[in-house]
Amino acid sequence: MQVIEREKVKSEIKDLKAKYGDDRSALLPILHALQNKYNYLSDVIMQETAHSLDIHPVEVEGVVSFYSFFRTNKKQGKYVIRLCQTISCDLAGKKNVARQLENELGIKFGETTEDRMFTLEYTNCMGMCDKGPAMMVNDRLFARVTPAKVSDIIADCRSNFIKTDFPDVVPSNVEKTGPILNNDVKNHAGLKKALKMKRPDILAEIKKSGLKGRGGAGFPTSVKWQLAAAAKSDKKYVVCNADEGEPGTFKDRYLLYQHTDKMLDGMTIAAYVLGAKKGYIYLRGEYMYLKNFLLEKIEKRKEENLLGKNILDKGLEFDIELRMGAGAYVCGEETALIESLEGNRGEARNRPPFPTDVGLQNHPTTVNNVETFIDSALICAQGADWFQEHGTEQSSGTKLFSVSGDCKKPGIYELPYGITIRDMLAEVEGEAAKAVQIGGAGGQCIPAKDFDRKISYEDVPSGGSIIVFGPERDMLKVAKNFMEFFVEESCGQCTPCREGNPKLLEGIEMLEEGRCSSSYLSELIKLGETMQVASKCGLGQSSPNAFLSIVKNFKSEVLGRVPEKV
Amino acid sequence: MTDNKEKLDFTQDKSSRRPKSTTPSTVKKPENKDALGAMIKVTIDGKDIKVPMGTTILEAAKELGITIPTLCDHSDLCVAGVCRICVVEVEGMNNLQASCAYPITSPIKVHTHTRKVRQARRHVLDLMLAKHYGECYSCVRNGNCELQDLADQYGVDFYRFGHMEKPEKGSDDSSYAIERDMDKCILCRRCVRTCVDLQEVGVYDVLDRGEETHIGTFLDKPMNEVICINCGQCINRCPTGALHAKDPSDVIWNAIDDKSKHVVIQTAPAPRSAIGECFEGVEPGTPLTFEMNTAIRYCGFDKVFDTNFSADLTIIEEGTELIQRLYGALVEDKGEALPQFTSCSPGWVKYIEHFYPEMLKHVSSAKSPQQMFGAVIKTYYAELNDIDPADIVTVALMPCTAKKFECNRPEMNDSGFKDIDYGLTTRELAQMFKEAGIELPKLKKSDFDDPFGTQTGSGVIFGATGGVMESAIRTVYELVTGKKIDDLFDHANIMPVRGFDGIRYAELPIEEVGPVPELLEGLVPNWDWLKGVTLKVAVAHGTANAKKVLENIKEGGKLSECHFIEFMACPGGCLGGGGMPIPTNEEIRAARAKAIYAEDEASEVRKSYENPAIAKLYSEFFTEGPCSHKSHELLHTGYNVRGKKMV
Repeated sequence: MQVIEREKVKSEIKDLKAKYGDDRSALLPILHALQNKYNYLSDVIMQETAHSLDIHPVEVEGVVSFYSFFRTNKKQGKYVIRLCQTISCDLAGKKNVARQLENELGIKFGETTEDRMFTLEYTNCMGMCDKGPAMMVNDRLFARVTPAKVSDIIADCRSNFIKTDFPDVVPSNVEKTGPILNNDVKNHAGLKKALKMKRPDILAEIKKSGLKGRGGAGFPTSVKWQLAAAAKSDKKYVVCNADEGEPGTFKDRYLLYQHTDKMLDGMTIAAYVLGAKKGYIYLRGEYMYLKNFLLEKIEKRKEENLLGKNILDKGLEFDIELRMGAGAYVCGEETALIESLEGNRGEARNRPPFPTDVGLQNHPTTVNNVETFIDSALICAQGADWFQEHGTEQSSGTKLFSVSGDCKKPGIYELPYGITIRDMLAEVEGEAAKAVQIGGAGGQCIPAKDFDRKISYEDVPSGGSIIVFGPERDMLKVAKNFMEFFVEESCGQCTPCREGNPKLLEGIEMLEEGRCSSSYLSELIKLGETMQVASKCGLGQSSPNAFLSIVKNFKSEVLGRVPEKV
Repeated sequence: MTDNKEKLDFTQDKSSRRPKSTTPSTVKKPENKDALGAMIKVTIDGKDIKVPMGTTILEAAKELGITIPTLCDHSDLCVAGVCRICVVEVEGMNNLQASCAYPITSPIKVHTHTRKVRQARRHVLDLMLAKHYGECYSCVRNGNCELQDLADQYGVDFYRFGHMEKPEKGSDDSSYAIERDMDKCILCRRCVRTCVDLQEVGVYDVLDRGEETHIGTFLDKPMNEVICINCGQCINRCPTGALHAKDPSDVIWNAIDDKSKHVVIQTAPAPRSAIGECFEGVEPGTPLTFEMNTAIRYCGFDKVFDTNFSADLTIIEEGTELIQRLYGALVEDKGEALPQFTSCSPGWVKYIEHFYPEMLKHVSSAKSPQQMFGAVIKTYYAELNDIDPADIVTVALMPCTAKKFECNRPEMNDSGFKDIDYGLTTRELAQMFKEAGIELPKLKKSDFDDPFGTQTGSGVIFGATGGVMESAIRTVYELVTGKKIDDLFDHANIMPVRGFDGIRYAELPIEEVGPVPELLEGLVPNWDWLKGVTLKVAVAHGTANAKKVLENIKEGGKLSECHFIEFMACPGGCLGGGGMPIPTNEEIRAARAKAIYAEDEASEVRKSYENPAIAKLYSEFFTEGPCSHKSHELLHTGYNVRGKKMV
């Protein structure tokens, strides 16, 4: 790179530092901005960014190579086509779309056309599971892509989207609403009411409601807030986990777009309870198209005195900053998310200590899901009893479910906890299913004989992902898709997850080829059990779940195969 | 002299950059152990113990004498908790917990070898072995490998999940000092934590993710193209043979076998305190100086000299340079670069060339003892014994991997020949001994060879952090004041500069001055200008501490007022060097230091200027005295502005 260009990059980094801060936590936003400008992150950019933040170039490379949205390859097309390869889009026919893309462009996935116009890449779940196969062209979203539409999309690209039949924002498909999605509560009502309450009373109300984290882990929200509120520190943080990455989940995408104010109300209530002055929304890189919308919302709230130094003239100080992820499923894990916010590789931390004690920048932090914040705001507005009307003893309230796969009515459903799988399948018109994956890639695969089980924390827990498998589905292929996902998405730090997942995938390939003995299969099952108990974080611990439940429940389907002739 | 350590505040850690995933689980241990709730009862395998809150399960188990296997854990490094070999079962918890990373904050019951634990550990081990190119016979760490030990302990007799048959990545031998063989890497990240956190050099980090995760350099550049300072601390902490030093022993054997070559070896102070560790039954801190001389001769080296000689020579040259700088600054009002920095540690020299090139003028131009010795051997010694310097092979036994790089610097051939041909580490010499069938601890003792064989305490303490400073103070104080340093410090043991604190600071007031001694005649008219001056000195070891000192100087902090600062790249100084026996930890380093200071106490000569070989050298060879034209030619050097740019 020319000296002049190097100097130019340096001065740009300086400006970006002024905007995002001069410590390492500014690293991701700086890299995003530089990539937007230069289309890729050159060696010089990585080095100069490192030196400017007083870290080592190899550390920047470590971060860049961790997140799949950062590119270091100069040979990148003007249009980067990312086709979702995760389960729901796979079920919906991604393979045929992929083949046609390769045919039209004359390149394979991972390659760029000679004229540097197009690059083909796979990506993991983009939250379009009910409208698969989905793909993104740069940050533009395309749903229900068929092989026949591929050439149209490519033609649209060539004409810079001047004339296109595809909509700008793909609307979400809400099939069933309930008290959370459909109520008379006005925006800010929950916040206004909460600010009139004493902090312990808010905690008591949320405790009474029995609200548990909607992201999937199901930790009681009141306990989390209470711990962070009780921790002594000059700084505290409220973080909204909008890194909806669990395959088959797309309800947060809808909530972020349609119920933004209630979510921000919830965050502000949490800030009030904790005594936090700063909040972050960690939005996944795949939802880049929501960025400006959310920024405008935040700006508007500042103008309306709903954020700032003296919120609603109640003396509350709170501000929210939006930070973008960059394509890493593991960042949905709260400590990995915090690492990412600090400008590191998204690698989970050792726990204890927990983020409520030692969180962002070592200060007490609460990390909650988008839906949890909305529920909190509604509970403050309507009271705990209102929330408790639905659900079970240990799983109160209604929950948003993202339904995809082999059913007639995929989409978003608000249903009470405790509903049986059978009832849910009736609701979504997928009664013929032979199995249902509940809780995403890290969840469990429930076979038809167990459809009377209930979706709840006390039985089959779920953060909202429901994937239906029809009678014709090859369950081994399903398992393979999940394992491929984890092999790629493991952060790579702990041995069981990093090395174990490839071994399970290898086992599936052996099963496919019909050369896996049942003794080796039981060895792999034991390995899966080790991964469940010995991995460092929730990703590793849940990564073998799908494999284990599929080989257990469909043993005769997966063993003794005669390989397909190619 | 006063010890003003407490006035220095380096606690404000500006580097918030370290990933918290590898930061110790910071549950602060209580200062007052008698306070209510400060001590917590833990039960491990049925045995009870009370430990301070925040103690890890691993530490508590150790106290109970219960062994838990570890791999990524290292007492010098921050906690990672990534290898998962140390998992244990905590009652009431479904998942196993990494004992190295689990701080005890409430009474818990722990089981360290249940079925669940044993199966998990065995799986972790099997998974590592599946990705480890374990060709133990041809591995430098055969017999001293933590992975091999675990495979042994866990009775691995087959590869449950397969085994890597062929190397996939190949090894990088581009560096003079450090070779990387990533097919043997098990991703424990000790090297990353060593390089990034302990040394703050930042050659390595974890790259990519998932299955592709690997340890790499910036852009996966070869080691000779990155900002590596060759300190070798990563080697000392690598549990396997993935990192090792470049071994010259084969070519040294060839030289020994070649009768036309005169092969001489100098042995540095630190290796003698530690080489015993490479032999069974020898405790750390057992000096085998004179047994080693016998063994070296047995191997066939022609002469064995003591690096103490050139350490003393360094003190004279570097001390003289310091006096020149002080005179320039205090009397002639010249803009001399003060404080003067030591230049003995080649890791440190390369560090400052890369990271603070603007401060290179502070570095003493004196070569390191290793290089001075080489220059003297290939000139003075060659003349004296009428040997063609072309036929002399100089080997340097060093505790250090950076010395291998240093002797290959192009500027290090002022005699017309390479000052030093080969840098040999303590580990490599021990290996040569074993190959020759030598059981070192059983050998008879024998002395060094003349003329560079005087055992001096002032030289031997170069092996410990603070040693160069201590020797310099002993000599400079006595040359300037004409008084005995022993009057100020018992036995001339200058305690304020000793120890393992990362940065140490001391002051030495010069109240009276004596006549200028013969050796320094012509250098200064008298010492009057030093009367009433308080000499301020500091000592730093480990480049992370060096960085703090340099930043303090740049900010005009307290250390900018210093006159002389000793820097050693390695934690503990040379005794913690990258070429020293593996493993290393604080306890082992302390034992080595004890051995070194004991040898100093036992020496007859403990001040560099009293070394008779030094006096002889200046009267016969460097007749114009220290820092003269000739000594500058042979004993001094210059540095390169390297910077930290790699692209």
